[in-house]
Amino acid sequence: MGAPVKGRLLDLVLVLGGLLMIAPLVWLVVTALSQPIDAFQLPPRWIPRPPTLENFQQVPDLIPFARMAWNSLQIAVITTAGSLLTSALAAYAFSRLRFPGRDQIFLVLLAALVVPVQLTVVPVFILMRWLHLVDTSVAIWLPALVNVFGIFFLRQYIASIPRELDEAAIMDGAGHFWILFRVILPLARPGLTALAIFVFEASWNNFFWPYIFLSSPEKMTLPVGLVSLQGAMGGGPAVVLFAAITLVVLPILVLFLIFQRSFIASIASTGLRG
Amino acid sequence: MTAQRRDWLPGYLFISPALLLFLVFVAAPLVGAFGLSLFHWDLLSTPEFAGLDNFRQLVTDEATVRAVINTFVFALSSVVTHIGLGMLLALGVHRTMTRGTKYFVRTAYFFPFLVSWAAVALIWKYVLDPTFGLATHYLQELGLPVTNWLASPTWALPTLIVVDWWHTIGYTFIILLAGLQTVPAQLHEAARVDGANAWWRFWSVTLPVMSPTIFFATVITFIGAFQIFDPMLIMTNGGPDGATRSIVMYTYEKGFQSFEVGYAAALSLVLFGVIMVATGLQFRLSRRWVHQ
Repeated sequence: MGAPVKGRLLDLVLVLGGLLMIAPLVWLVVTALSQPIDAFQLPPRWIPRPPTLENFQQVPDLIPFARMAWNSLQIAVITTAGSLLTSALAAYAFSRLRFPGRDQIFLVLLAALVVPVQLTVVPVFILMRWLHLVDTSVAIWLPALVNVFGIFFLRQYIASIPRELDEAAIMDGAGHFWILFRVILPLARPGLTALAIFVFEASWNNFFWPYIFLSSPEKMTLPVGLVSLQGAMGGGPAVVLFAAITLVVLPILVLFLIFQRSFIASIASTGLRG
Repeated sequence: MTAQRRDWLPGYLFISPALLLFLVFVAAPLVGAFGLSLFHWDLLSTPEFAGLDNFRQLVTDEATVRAVINTFVFALSSVVTHIGLGMLLALGVHRTMTRGTKYFVRTAYFFPFLVSWAAVALIWKYVLDPTFGLATHYLQELGLPVTNWLASPTWALPTLIVVDWWHTIGYTFIILLAGLQTVPAQLHEAARVDGANAWWRFWSVTLPVMSPTIFFATVITFIGAFQIFDPMLIMTNGGPDGATRSIVMYTYEKGFQSFEVGYAAALSLVLFGVIMVATGLQFRLSRRWVHQ
């Protein structure tokens, strides 16, 4: 039978394709670790000799890297925690409580899923300018605290938790806050984790919104800082830029390798896009 | 009855944070965009009522027409390459493969999706650099001509389509792979017993069962592709000569570079219209091929 041979050939093609996929990332890291004199040589040297951290040490000379990393982290943490909270509250109400207009309000929110942020950016910019919030981190995280997808996703998740559990708690005289935080959310933990990872990643990588709202270097997030570095450097040392990009990319890749299962499961089950 | 009555207050209370933010940052700006599109405004002087001026200008502005065409070309090629190649990948990985190989392939294809567009765009600018780029070197080794891909009016857009594929395929691939895993093995077995060959099993079993997943991936890819902006801004700045200017790129130029806020709002409404029509059309067409 030729089947096993054909199968192995296909494996080979897929593995080669995989290597091709990660080649630019490997090149990035290898170049960042190279002596400036060895970097960008053709044919590329895939093993730096000897590896050096010199380029990484120069990153702070070009951009306030630590400051930008702190900004990114701060925004990502506030966005994640805040949007999970508002989503959980709303999701509980939409799935468990009955009040007039509930389904209509939910439908309106759902329809907003196709509204691109680019449509709202000009009016929101005008609003933020009026509130004197342009060039502050508030302009980045405040609008992100409403996450329609999060509401939708958690509502589906809560719907899969048996109602008997909260009905028993109601019998015992528990309030809705207590039920949500003590009964429902602990059971919805895998869903919350998946959503948190995704919101965090999306915020950490977000470019469009911070690019428009932030202008002072000390307030910028990492993606915006990187791009500004490209402009500021002109003919400057590209290896240092590579070192900076590596510092931005690596944490997310490591995080992924640790949480791979949740990551993949969250995308597979939700179709959430960062 | 009383239990229901008691739910009113907590119900409104629980949705109020999300709803309030939604009204301020989504609903009101949406209405605001419609309003703004009727004005000439540079953010400084008093807004001047323009009626449908901006929309009239839209139709005659060659740059707008070009941006709309570019966006469509980008979106259509995205969908075809993402769904087509993503499906092939998913089918390949789904086949029994050794665990290690499967892990490597899945991870390798998914990795780029986790890298921010800003980093992707910068890395690829260097990969494609005509003098010291990785791609330039290996393409030359393969005997292909060296071009400054991003500076070529012909090649810049196709190049961005390839870079987008590299960045986003992992996402489509994972969705399709998940869909593939829901295809019941018994169905395949039954078809095999009936003498169906691999192709026929794919057409008559795999595809119909997966059609909702494929439909979902198509809609999401389309919506995402219509909003493409980051690589255009970072890699080509819309150029050369508008060859990679997308609708969002142009909206950004008008709104935040030349401060024609009303015109930018009108442009963003074009994007909205395009997305609504395309999505609506997909839902309508889906009745013919998506199995519920």
